Amino acid sequence: MSPGLSYAVIRSHALIADLLTPEQVLELAVSEDLGTLIERLSETPYGEVSVEAGGDVSIALERVFYRKFIERMARIVDVAPGNIAEFLEAYYYTRFEILNLKRILRGKFSGIPVSQIVDSLVPIKPYQAKDFEVLAESETLEEAVQRLGDTPYSAVVASMELSKEYDALWPLELALNHFYARTILRTLERLPSVDRAIVRRIVQVEADIENFLIAVKQRRAHEEALRVQRLEDLFPATYGIPLSAIKEVLEARDIKPVIAALGPPHSEILAPIYEGDVALIRTHLRRHIYRTARLGRSTNDFGFNVIMAYLVFSEIEKDDLVGISWGKAQGVSSEDILRYLTIPYSA
Amino acid sequence: MSSMSGVRPTKGYLMDLKRRIGFIERGCEFLKLKRDHLAKELSASLEVLHGRRRLLLQSLRDAYRSLTAAYLSLGPTEVKSQARSIRRALELEVLPRSVMGVRYPFTKILSKPQIAGELDITLSRAAENVLGILEEIIQLAEFEARAERIADELGKTNRKVNALENTIIPSYKQIIKFIEDKLDEESLEELVRMKLIGGALARRRG
Repeated sequence: MSPGLSYAVIRSHALIADLLTPEQVLELAVSEDLGTLIERLSETPYGEVSVEAGGDVSIALERVFYRKFIERMARIVDVAPGNIAEFLEAYYYTRFEILNLKRILRGKFSGIPVSQIVDSLVPIKPYQAKDFEVLAESETLEEAVQRLGDTPYSAVVASMELSKEYDALWPLELALNHFYARTILRTLERLPSVDRAIVRRIVQVEADIENFLIAVKQRRAHEEALRVQRLEDLFPATYGIPLSAIKEVLEARDIKPVIAALGPPHSEILAPIYEGDVALIRTHLRRHIYRTARLGRSTNDFGFNVIMAYLVFSEIEKDDLVGISWGKAQGVSSEDILRYLTIPYSA
Repeated sequence: MSSMSGVRPTKGYLMDLKRRIGFIERGCEFLKLKRDHLAKELSASLEVLHGRRRLLLQSLRDAYRSLTAAYLSLGPTEVKSQARSIRRALELEVLPRSVMGVRYPFTKILSKPQIAGELDITLSRAAENVLGILEEIIQLAEFEARAERIADELGKTNRKVNALENTIIPSYKQIIKFIEDKLDEESLEELVRMKLIGGALARRRG
């Protein structure tokens, strides 16, 4: 093990101790109200959380949790050896950057003020794109897309025609999703083969479930994408759920047999679709990823798996806290909030 | 009797009053018919409202649950960002309709938002649920406004009928009776006077 990796692993071990325990997350989730949540949060490594008066508290808290996660991620990326840092950057920074690009494009599409677009962005610096604010200040959607032309996201420009034809954003969002899938696959190959297993398990199941959900959505409403693109173009990266299964999802009257035939873990993750609770599928996916990361860490507690586990736990903690804070701000019952949490149920 | 102070006990005035009371009584009958029709309309509307509300409440719970799930799953900023990509908003036109002269709003849906393409499946399901009950909510609001206005009109009509039946018509009848009594009295006096004059003339002749 290289000294750089050893240091990153040791740092990850130390930082894992800073993460919230399942009991702490549970305690936060059952807080009586938002005030109690903020008070309890101050007793955790998040410390005193200051929220601007007058704004949407849950959105302000969401930014706090995002900042904390990005800070944690940057700490690891800074000390990780070259190939691992490169992968982690591609995995996380590209993901958040694409999220920001989608939010900018949506903002330009619907013509909302620049300040509102900027406020909705994940607080990261541009990674491969240009300045987000400059993009947000574009006069039109087309101009914003053209500005991506001389960045690695140039493939999006080609989708602009389709976007105009259908007066819709999905072709642009699809192009960004494909870019992300390609980037992950490319940088994954640079990781040592021994480290690829845990990432593959996580990335592949994530991609499979997202593909499946897109297929379910397509089959319900938005068939024009299928008419203009080949299935391979719509789903460029498939793993545990092959294209044949996706085709079945699109064509079958009943998707239950298709899900059952997939077997675990996919069939277990997708089970909530039977009750019509699609949001719970993502929760099941997060729980699966959490368990995969924990299992990876237990098989190799002195390697890349620890770094990956720390970042996975950290991101899931952020997702759980975002859900809890929104739920508390809206007065959603603790029971309903707990249903969509990951950490308390993955111990 | 103070209410009779301005009353002219003449035959002409009596005939005029009788004509007026006939007109008032016919009006009162019409108002009673309107009241009964409005009461029937109101009770039918309330029955529909009651049934629809119960059904809508369940649909609303489901829609709220799916929206909550979408927020908990995606986070508030992402939900807002995705929701903004829906360009075609819900467009409504409110037109007036009338039942027994009672005007109430009738809402026509001109266009519905297209939610399928742009949203994540979680949010798309929630939006479909909300959109599915939106028409029901609008219809329910329409029914509520209708029932409210019918009830309001029913109250007014009932007050009018009561006022006519219990105050105006009896007071007219009282005046008519007063005039009739007065006229009877006057004709009796006249008769007595005639008889006295007749008796006096007979005595003078005799």
